[in-house]
Amino acid sequence: MNKLIIKVQRHLNKLRWGVLSLVFSMLILLPFLHLYQTFEAAHAYDLLSPSEKSISDTMEWLSKPFVKDPEVDLNNLKGTTWSGTLFGLKLSDPLALVGQISAGKTVYMPFLITALIPIILSIIFGRFFCGWICPATLIYELNDNLATWLRKAGIPVGKKKLDFRLKYLVLLMGIIISAATGMIAFAAVYPPALIGREIYYAIALSGFGSGMVFFLLTLLFDLMVTRRGFCRYVCPGGALYSLLGHFRLFRIKRDVTLCNDCAKCNVVCQFGLDPLRDDFTQECNNCTACIAVCPTDALSFTVSIKDIPNQGAGHLGHEYKRLHNIQDDQGPK
Amino acid sequence: MKRRSFIQGVIGTGLTSLLAENTLAARNVPSIRFLRPPGSLPEEEFVSRCIRCGKCGETCPNRTIKYFDLENGVSSMDTPFIIPREKACILCMKCGDVCPTGAIQPIKRDMKPILEKVKMGKARVDENLCLSFQGKTCGVCYRACPLADVAIRVGMLEQPHVLKDCVGCGLCERSCIQIPQAIRIIPDHKRS
Repeated sequence: MNKLIIKVQRHLNKLRWGVLSLVFSMLILLPFLHLYQTFEAAHAYDLLSPSEKSISDTMEWLSKPFVKDPEVDLNNLKGTTWSGTLFGLKLSDPLALVGQISAGKTVYMPFLITALIPIILSIIFGRFFCGWICPATLIYELNDNLATWLRKAGIPVGKKKLDFRLKYLVLLMGIIISAATGMIAFAAVYPPALIGREIYYAIALSGFGSGMVFFLLTLLFDLMVTRRGFCRYVCPGGALYSLLGHFRLFRIKRDVTLCNDCAKCNVVCQFGLDPLRDDFTQECNNCTACIAVCPTDALSFTVSIKDIPNQGAGHLGHEYKRLHNIQDDQGPK
Repeated sequence: MKRRSFIQGVIGTGLTSLLAENTLAARNVPSIRFLRPPGSLPEEEFVSRCIRCGKCGETCPNRTIKYFDLENGVSSMDTPFIIPREKACILCMKCGDVCPTGAIQPIKRDMKPILEKVKMGKARVDENLCLSFQGKTCGVCYRACPLADVAIRVGMLEQPHVLKDCVGCGLCERSCIQIPQAIRIIPDHKRS
């Protein structure tokens, strides 16, 4: 049974890509559905331009199996990952709550309740939002793949190491700026909020706003300065989720009896963590790429409240050390 | 990161944001004549409440609500607004229901709560431009008004007279046949 669970965990990464693509495609689909709703509300199909007619037809075809009255029923799916309505359930990003409290200096209870479910999920699963839902993550990961191709083609890409605590400073700065200016500063720089908004602007309104320029700059930052730099070093939301997930229940554990020290996990980890030495900390976004890549199935999720300390080398290393009588200065005794 | 640079960073941002607040406060009068969606809180409170999620615009069945970029200053970036001459509010009150933070208060779609709580602005007639005041019978604004005889009344030759119950939805301004429009909404950002 246990073996089966570990075998299944290999496929979590595929599931994650599925979820990410689903969220992203929904963000693209929702503005079109809204356009379709407005066309329906206007009762003026004949007056639409040809392109609007094609949008209306496509959306009608797509939504027909699910809704009776598009004007009312499609209101069940609204918003973005920053704050959205999912079949009557209002969900908001915890960072929006933090920003709103610091900017308005008041707590609005209905809004607090909308952020409660994400907060509880983050306390249990840690920084799962970053790896599994965030629509910007999809683009950032593709951007990182692009960086890999560029590196293979001989074009230098950035691989600086900064201090990961920088993002907590950004979070604190954001709170201070929000409190001082009375506007929610996070909304302007937080990629998931930005992406959802800009896609809506591009499809339903006049086109991309200036937020898109900022997002493209973060993509360039990731390419030229450091791998996944924005998520790791700057993102205030990532900082908040990391803090919330400090005592998370599920952590990736390395089975020393299976690990053969191939270090594939360290190469594949876009967050620059060190699975080979059990160094996940709260930064891990549960992307499960290391579990998927591990050739011996040594990595798997376990229930643990504390970080797992360094367990030393894998079984081949122990064997080697035993054969050659090398004193083990780190690892299990 | 060293402790000293951390503390320096915190103090630095605090000071700059205080400075920014002062410069923002100096240009308090908006240069654009816009309305906030119906049921919005007073301007300053609205900006501090709105999390820029964009759901109000995504729910608006008339596609009335648009979003600022940087044209109205940094503090109102990505906040919803209405230009009544382009698209006016039909008072469907869906944006208030969907707003997660109460920046747009939920208001029941009924005569009494709308008259009490919606304070987007007040219409004002320019009698030098209005056709009815120039001897040509028009009355389009009166017919466009969703609160006819409550918010606007017509006298002789269909001359419009705005009453004190006008909520400022802007449908009169949208429908005015005169160019430039003879009736305009004067925004009431203090919601007085």
